[in-house]
Amino acid sequence: MSDLNGPPTPEPPQSNVGDDFGLGFQLPGSGTVDDRGRRRVHPITPLVHGASMVPVGLFLVVILGFGSGAAFGLAGVAVFVLGLVVLPVVVAAWSYLVWRNLWYWFDDDGDFRVDSGVITKQERRVQLSRLQSVDVAQPLIARLFSMAELTVEVAGSQESKLKLQFLSLDDARALRATILARAAGLRHDTSEAPEDAIAKVAPRDLAVSLLLRSSTAFLLLFSVLVLAISFLTGGWGGLFVALFTGGIPILIVVSEFIRYFNFTVSDSPDGLRLRFGLAKTEARTVPPGRVQAIEYVEPFLWRRRNWVRVRVNIAGMGGQDRQGNKEETLLIPVATMADAHAIVGRVFPDVDVDALEWHLAPDRSRRRSFIQWSRLAVAWDANVFAARRGRVTRRLSVIPHARTQSVRVTQGPWERPLDLASVHVDTTPGPVSVSALHLDAAFAARVAREQTERALQARSVDRSIRWAAGETPPDAAT
Amino acid sequence: MADKVNAAFTSDDQWTPVSPKLVTARRITLCLVYLLVIGGIVAVYAFSTAPSWVTVALVVAALVVFVWLWWLIGRRVRSFGYSERGDDLLVTSGIMFRRLVIVPYGRMQLVDVKAGPIDRWLGVTTVQLHTAAATTDASIPGLVPDVAADLRDRLARRGEQRSAGL
Repeated sequence: MSDLNGPPTPEPPQSNVGDDFGLGFQLPGSGTVDDRGRRRVHPITPLVHGASMVPVGLFLVVILGFGSGAAFGLAGVAVFVLGLVVLPVVVAAWSYLVWRNLWYWFDDDGDFRVDSGVITKQERRVQLSRLQSVDVAQPLIARLFSMAELTVEVAGSQESKLKLQFLSLDDARALRATILARAAGLRHDTSEAPEDAIAKVAPRDLAVSLLLRSSTAFLLLFSVLVLAISFLTGGWGGLFVALFTGGIPILIVVSEFIRYFNFTVSDSPDGLRLRFGLAKTEARTVPPGRVQAIEYVEPFLWRRRNWVRVRVNIAGMGGQDRQGNKEETLLIPVATMADAHAIVGRVFPDVDVDALEWHLAPDRSRRRSFIQWSRLAVAWDANVFAARRGRVTRRLSVIPHARTQSVRVTQGPWERPLDLASVHVDTTPGPVSVSALHLDAAFAARVAREQTERALQARSVDRSIRWAAGETPPDAAT
Repeated sequence: MADKVNAAFTSDDQWTPVSPKLVTARRITLCLVYLLVIGGIVAVYAFSTAPSWVTVALVVAALVVFVWLWWLIGRRVRSFGYSERGDDLLVTSGIMFRRLVIVPYGRMQLVDVKAGPIDRWLGVTTVQLHTAAATTDASIPGLVPDVAADLRDRLARRGEQRSAGL
């Protein structure tokens, strides 16, 4: 295999584990590498876990202690000690046992291995060829100790998520880079991929954009209206309604603001790197080879600012993870059209959305969709298939021919008398669906059949799965 | 007009229809569901204080819907068809909501063959194709078990030959 990234450096950066306090001595067991090359996570992990229980303990003290009026006296002290001392210490002790038994390393086959378990031993092998994503996150408490957790995700299996808690931030980043580089078919000794920022969302823009989303703006306006009516008529029942219609969108705005705070998109050889979060900083990598389809969303009130939101379908990341959290499917929460094009250009390099030649839905489609009919259109070029719809909130979805799963033509009872039909290009589960609605029926049938031919042709030359390795099969073990 | 509409969903391809036994299977299922409906109407008649014309209206409505569904099942089953082409499988169906699904063999992830108790008794099975997309809705009901098994094996073989990554 040819040298892809200059002369090899001998070893991934040495762990700085142990000297986190800068006192010049190593904590017992820190930076341990045993005779089989296995490594341990950071030795202050038990401390972090213990400290994470303090807020829980505090909550218990407040609820049990003050709630039952036993804040003073012997019972109060007992609750206090139980919540703030015993609970964290027990958790830290357990965490110490977990730490002692947790080892991670790369085995001879080049796979990532994790051995763990205090009572039940578990040996896991992460097949890097099926790697989905590697994320570095900093939960609030861990951040106080400048620690980070690493989440490794693999396609397919049920228990496909693996968490390493905790590593120092630098170690976590280095390990992440190593795993990604191995998985992408590069040599594993390339140092962490350099990043070039492409776009950054200013907090003010994020807040304004969230407030101006069609649903939010409508609900807030509706609440103001309800409040005005109840004020004028003295019917105060309206207050209750306004609490819901106004409160829920505000909650959503606040939670999304916290989640997507300081959203940064940068470019790295591993793919697009996304960083965001106020309370919990998250980092995600979107490997271009895994992106199945994208969608530009343009709410009505954003249009004056020329703003757009970009969402993606990523293979194997459709709905929810095991904890029931929504998987991240945003490429950027808000950006100018030019920035959005730049980001999309990184994922789908040969796509020029502005140059597409649109085939509009016929005029008679207004009798089926009387608002959005004039926006309905379909387009394709040598590389992608695109469909747009929506008049209030404009949506434009793009799918490369090579990512086409199957093609459907549908015709509902309303379309039939108008001789209309819709073409759907199926993609993996996710927020984006590619549907060209209400086209002329014969035209739709032609588009669908031609799309399968385009897809077949594109698939036979597609090589973007192992996008970093070019045509050479990856040889991660070397 | 009707011919023009049909042109979108049919073609010169050879369409294989499904077994007419599927009509019987679906009509039996309809009858079983209607046992519950009858039970509901009897309950209304026996235990509620509603005037008797309500019961009469319910019976008439249930009868009309029953006849309509009975007739619709026949048409719907006749609307099913599939066609094996060189590189993909075509499945079409539907009367009110018509659809045509084109599944490239290289995209198939697995092929299911399944049959419920009524289907087994009558000897019909369903072949269902799955791709990585959840929206691919390609199931062919009402196949004779031998035909279904052959179709499954054929599809699986072609899928293997043309298999592509995601």
